[in-house]
Amino acid sequence: MVLFKMALLNFMKDTLGMDTTGVDEDTPLFSSGMIDSSSMVELILFVEAEGHVKFEAEDVSLDRLDSIRRIVTFVGERSER
Amino acid sequence: MSAALETPGIIILGAPRSGTTLLRRLINAHPNIDCPGETNVFAACGRFLRSERIAEGVDIGVVEGLGYAGFSRGEILRRLRELAFSFHHDHAVSQRKPRWASKTAFDAFYLPEIEQLCGDDALFVCLQRHGIDVACSIEDLCNKNGVYLKELHEYIQRYPRMIEAFAHVWVDLTQAIHAFVKRHPTNTMLIAYEELVEKPNDIMANVMQFVGEQWDPALLADALASRSGLGLGDWKTYGRNAVDRSSVGRWTRLSRHTISELGGICNATLAACGYDAVPLDSSRSPEEGQRRYEMGLLLQGMKRAPATNRDAATARPAAVSQEAAQKSKD
Repeated sequence: MVLFKMALLNFMKDTLGMDTTGVDEDTPLFSSGMIDSSSMVELILFVEAEGHVKFEAEDVSLDRLDSIRRIVTFVGERSER
Repeated sequence: MSAALETPGIIILGAPRSGTTLLRRLINAHPNIDCPGETNVFAACGRFLRSERIAEGVDIGVVEGLGYAGFSRGEILRRLRELAFSFHHDHAVSQRKPRWASKTAFDAFYLPEIEQLCGDDALFVCLQRHGIDVACSIEDLCNKNGVYLKELHEYIQRYPRMIEAFAHVWVDLTQAIHAFVKRHPTNTMLIAYEELVEKPNDIMANVMQFVGEQWDPALLADALASRSGLGLGDWKTYGRNAVDRSSVGRWTRLSRHTISELGGICNATLAACGYDAVPLDSSRSPEEGQRRYEMGLLLQGMKRAPATNRDAATARPAAVSQEAAQKSKD
């Protein structure tokens, strides 16, 4: 999961063009406006592809997506199924 | 003959929304050069000279018609050129300046005719800007005006997606301008908008050297402070009191898919202009496009939900904003 956190950060920085300085596991991503809708779509598709999970409609929520920790937790839960 | 007709006039050329109004204001700040708001004189000359070819291969237009009446092409062009120049000359005289310059954003659509008219009889300062920034800005212009001017409407008829149409406008005009500059190496110069806003005094020093004048850096502030003789032209430039880079790279705010589509249109010309190609996203399948669309809809619900209320956060949206749906479709 450490590797996945790094992959998320690299994706946000390199592909989404975000300044990830100071972003930690609990930094709010979407609710803070750091990531807009368009970039969040890209992030979800990246998580689906790299984490081998699929977001159902009910999964698209701040509880699942609003921080790196929440995303990693979601991927971990789904991987255990 | 007055000084204004003894020294060559200056014509600014560039695709619409390339910074030609900014350049006009900077040039007009020079004490020796008068560059009024858009007169549309040279674009009108271009329309005057345009002809249409009928099925039999005969061109129907003013030059051909007057040709049958005994007026040579050279004579027609000379008279029209003198008429066009005379308006600018007289305005320069009224402003007590010895030289004239002209800028009309849509002149570039009539470059072949302007070249016939005065390709060797004026100095041309040509301006280029990143094509996708230009496309974004033309889209803003049309939304603001609530209309497509004729020259743009012809592209809209061919390419119903606005920004795609405007990317094609940029490609066509930029290629035409570059070819014109190559054909007229001694009386043209080409500058980039991005460099103009990055180091305006350096670029203006080069422009003034090209036209045989000197640039005083103090003119920069004068140019932006002046509100006199506004005339027709860009509505945005007068809202600014300083040259800045805020309009450079606005294309990066488009969706990845839109950038990729416009890159397919613009990349070759961007490279010819010295810009980096924009990234192309050739791997996207229709299924991925649909997935993006669905995610975009769901994210609208997430945006409205309070972070602490899981039920609300997971609720499906009752309504979807057009903007998000469109972005996701992209």
